[in-house]
Amino acid sequence: MSETRRHFEAQVLPHLDAAYRFARWLSASSVFAEDVVQDAVLRAFRSFDSFRGGDTRAWLFAIVRNCHATTAAQHRKRVFVPLPDEAAWQTDSTAENDALARDDERVLARLMSALPEEYREVLVLRELEEMNYRDIATIADIPIGTVMSRLARARAALKQLAVREQEKTA
Amino acid sequence: MSCEQSLRVQAYFDGELASDEETLVVQHLAQCPACRELLADHERGRTLLRSEASGMRAPAQLRARIASALDAESASVTRGASVARNPARPLRSRPFWLGALAGLGLSGIAATLIVLLVLPMAAAPLVDELVAAHLHSLQPGQLISVLSSERHTVKPWFAGRADVSPTVADFTDEGFTLAGGRADAVLDQRAAVAVYRHGPHTINVFTWAESRAVLPHAQMRRGYRMLFWRSADLAYAAVSDASWDELQKLERLLQTRSETEQRPNPRRE
Repeated sequence: MSETRRHFEAQVLPHLDAAYRFARWLSASSVFAEDVVQDAVLRAFRSFDSFRGGDTRAWLFAIVRNCHATTAAQHRKRVFVPLPDEAAWQTDSTAENDALARDDERVLARLMSALPEEYREVLVLRELEEMNYRDIATIADIPIGTVMSRLARARAALKQLAVREQEKTA
Repeated sequence: MSCEQSLRVQAYFDGELASDEETLVVQHLAQCPACRELLADHERGRTLLRSEASGMRAPAQLRARIASALDAESASVTRGASVARNPARPLRSRPFWLGALAGLGLSGIAATLIVLLVLPMAAAPLVDELVAAHLHSLQPGQLISVLSSERHTVKPWFAGRADVSPTVADFTDEGFTLAGGRADAVLDQRAAVAVYRHGPHTINVFTWAESRAVLPHAQMRRGYRMLFWRSADLAYAAVSDASWDELQKLERLLQTRSETEQRPNPRRE
């Protein structure tokens, strides 16, 4: 294995789960998410020489996002599939109470899929990946002020959906 | 319903404010029920997302596909330098980041946040001292001099042993258990150190008297996270391997507590 390859695997592959989660929430489909992540990792490998340190995860995420945009443009006409489908949630499930957890996850997935993609994106980056505004701005390619207002709207929208969901089940 | 400070409150919740700005937000929260409600909403939303959406992992077959794609790629690169690199457009690497950073300046509302990005590293020795003290405390028998989860025991213990009297409280209900305290030398003072447990993590909260206007910004040193804030005339630093959000939550709890302690109320203890 070449030196570059070893470097790349040590630096980039630890972020693979996170990159997949991000692609998954963005693309609303496990099949597309896998293609997007594979494409992104390859592109990252090809441009690894020009990556001069900094936050590897943010760098990889920016590439994932680009690849997602390309794929989404190619498949604009496809039917919207609510995410996540059951299969992907089961891939790593071992615990018994997963069935219960999956129910909750499906509710959340339904709520999330009702949000515009740009809302999902900032929510996932901030809440799940714990990124700061600057990294989110870089990845989503928007000014920090937009990160703030979009995040506020996304949070309010998710809350509203959750409240409505609660009223429905109550 | 919604307050003009709501974006600031959100930035506070996300740990994006400099410590002097945080103080302003904490003061505002004390008077604004709408913003307190907003903060609670943010907290609930985060809990919802984190508890239910963080378990997804890359499928094994994806890892396998990537490994073989990388094999193929490496092979083609070593075979000949002139291999067509990529039909897709090469990624913008440098200009992309620079462009994104340039975008920051355009946003008026975020202007104050830029302070965070360009703050001078005013206090490298302080940061080094704190992380050294944290590391030392993790050695057997060094962490705690007064072992108690009762703030009425820990706080008076500092009198005479440390040069300051910090806000100390047990937040077991919120996930941060007060484990005890000790005194450490920081910047030639006897700093008060409250020790909290959060799950598997130990959090040292240092408190000392600080006259400098600017505290170091949040940073990592030797794998430990350090978060600074100011409350009353004291400087606080939380040092731990816990996540940023957990440290920020503890900071919020302590800030709120110290705010209530400072409010004049003769009937309080």
